[in-house]
Amino acid sequence: MNPLITAIQVLIFPGLSFILSYTLFAEWLSRKTVARLQNRIGPMHTGWKGILQPLADFIKLLVKEDITPAAAQAIIFNFAPILIFAIPLASTFLIPIQSITNLWGYEPVAAFEGDLIIVLFLMSVNVLAVFLAGWSSGNLFGAVGATRVALMMLAYEIPLGLVAISPAIVARSLSIVKIVDWEVASAQSFLANPTLPGVMLGVVMFIGFVIYTICLLAELEMRPFDMSEAETEIVHGWQVEYSGVKLALLNSGQKVKMVLAAGLLTSIYLGGPTGPILPPIVWFILKTSFCVMILSNLSALFARFRIDQLVKGAWKYLVPLAVLQVMAVVALSGVI
Amino acid sequence: MSDRQFIIPIGPQHPALKEPESFYFTVDGETVIDVEPRIGYNHRGIEKAMEVRTYIQNLYITERVCGICSNAHQTAYTGSVEEVAGIEIPERAKYIRVFVQELERLHSHLLWLGVAAHEIGFDTLFYYVWRDREIVMDLLEEISGNRCNYAIPTIGGVRRDLNKDNFPRWNKLVDTIFERTEYYIKVASTEQTILDRAIGVGYIGKSDMIKLSGAGPNARCSGVPCDIRKLNPYLVYDQLDFEHIVVDNGDVLGQVLVRALEVLESCKILKQVMKDIPEGEINTKFSPLNKISAGEAAYLVEAARGELIHYTISDGKNMPFRHKIRAPTMANLLSLVERLKGGYIADIPIVLAGIDPCFSCTDRMVFYDEGKDKKWSWTEDQLRKYRREWFEK
Repeated sequence: MNPLITAIQVLIFPGLSFILSYTLFAEWLSRKTVARLQNRIGPMHTGWKGILQPLADFIKLLVKEDITPAAAQAIIFNFAPILIFAIPLASTFLIPIQSITNLWGYEPVAAFEGDLIIVLFLMSVNVLAVFLAGWSSGNLFGAVGATRVALMMLAYEIPLGLVAISPAIVARSLSIVKIVDWEVASAQSFLANPTLPGVMLGVVMFIGFVIYTICLLAELEMRPFDMSEAETEIVHGWQVEYSGVKLALLNSGQKVKMVLAAGLLTSIYLGGPTGPILPPIVWFILKTSFCVMILSNLSALFARFRIDQLVKGAWKYLVPLAVLQVMAVVALSGVI
Repeated sequence: MSDRQFIIPIGPQHPALKEPESFYFTVDGETVIDVEPRIGYNHRGIEKAMEVRTYIQNLYITERVCGICSNAHQTAYTGSVEEVAGIEIPERAKYIRVFVQELERLHSHLLWLGVAAHEIGFDTLFYYVWRDREIVMDLLEEISGNRCNYAIPTIGGVRRDLNKDNFPRWNKLVDTIFERTEYYIKVASTEQTILDRAIGVGYIGKSDMIKLSGAGPNARCSGVPCDIRKLNPYLVYDQLDFEHIVVDNGDVLGQVLVRALEVLESCKILKQVMKDIPEGEINTKFSPLNKISAGEAAYLVEAARGELIHYTISDGKNMPFRHKIRAPTMANLLSLVERLKGGYIADIPIVLAGIDPCFSCTDRMVFYDEGKDKKWSWTEDQLRKYRREWFEK
């Protein structure tokens, strides 16, 4: 492979620069969606309709005072924000967006058999980093937030893994690109020749999409599942002691995670960055923006759950439903 | 205390508390075992300050006891002074006092609904409710010139008149609030994520509530009928037609329902006032130099948070000899402790906010020696001496 092309891919497009600017756009889109739903107007003054507001917030945090509390374990406390920022960013390299050599290609920066597992693993490691961040801050609220993050992981990790794997079962591959390839091929064959098992598979996949969205909401600590940073209960939980550059990294890490989640949702359930007429990059932006809007919409719609309600609800409804969904997928994949 | 139990201090500064107050929670895992409230962070010596000012000057002090029920405090204060002085206020002034009082109740209850939604993490409802509260705030500003301290009641009547030409427009605004509140009641009693956080949370039964002598919506949500407007009507409340709202849920949902239903009743009262208000004078003359006859009187008002008592003793001068204020949050603190016991840590903010606490009204000071089990208070001279010694150190 040409090293120049690789460098461009990693640093400019569709790597770091594109992902970071798209993250800022996604944050703006999410804030605007929530604001409109809550009868507000959202950011208005920085750029067109406040589109530069996330960037302005980021820069503002960079120049703020950076404090490491005396009670914190300094090494872990300072290192955790880097992890929280870097892990989701690295994971986005595995999401198919757009090839720079071929207008209609969507090869990710790095792809290999089993990268779906790697993404899921990296997302779990990210939760561990969040736990360490809260736990090392030497603050009571930080510790409570950290334990809540860990408890939440117990609730959503199993259904999240299950429904992420079920498209891989029908596609007979653990590579995200091959899942997208399979989705494109099967969608085309279904449109050419609609069959009953095809319709049933679509319904089952829709259930998987719903479960996956709910689990991602919990993973992203968004509204109904934001008990780990509930400001009225535990004062922003695990983030409470962070300020300045570290808080900027934490915040952008969270938003990159949202883009990663939208990208994953697009790749394994919505047919990836493909569609008629337009090149993959446009479809990627359209589909992930759609996912971001769904996530923001859901987060504006509900009151926050209690941690015990989340764990109970996840094991009572989400896990059995996810298991059933996987079983149905296995059964149908024999037919198709 | 077993080794599984530990103490979490919440406050004096905490996002769930809008005012400084401290609570020590003894918790076992996620369950609250015991609560110890500690008041006194916001004590301003208002009762003492009132003894060295004239009755007219005191109007402005009583108004600033509380930011939200400022008008209730003024109504109770003027009521008690007028009772001692034997002043009968004009009928129109009574209606205007009721009108402002009910607007204030609307604004306070809507504010509370928003805060409660925020405490359980439902910011969308919070923004919607506060948007509608702006209607009330604009109305109050139009009537009094202020959004917060309206300065409407004065001794002998009221300071500003209502303009009849505005009534049709105000009627429409009140209708808007009525409709929107009906919608919020529907949302709050059907939306599952709200019900999960509200049903059975911070429960207290009727007999316990009577024992702990709660007041206002906090007691009415446990089935105790205690609305002063019905039990001991003041001003013109006996001529107005409204329901005595009592529900027996006893939990956070009950508190939401009581307040939301009271908003509807207040809307009805406002419309009746606009229909029935008689023409005439709004004020009788009362000068700051006026002395009033010796005597004492208590005046009970149903403030937004419950029964508010102002008790004044006059010794025949133009200043009160003693003025005592009993704010409703003081009465609700005991039942709050009972509500918090046995609940989850995650429910502390909503239960705390649930009684609609107003700590600045509540704060008292008393010296207490835990070792000797002795308590005492200081006179003004002793306080002065203490201050001198403290600053010379």
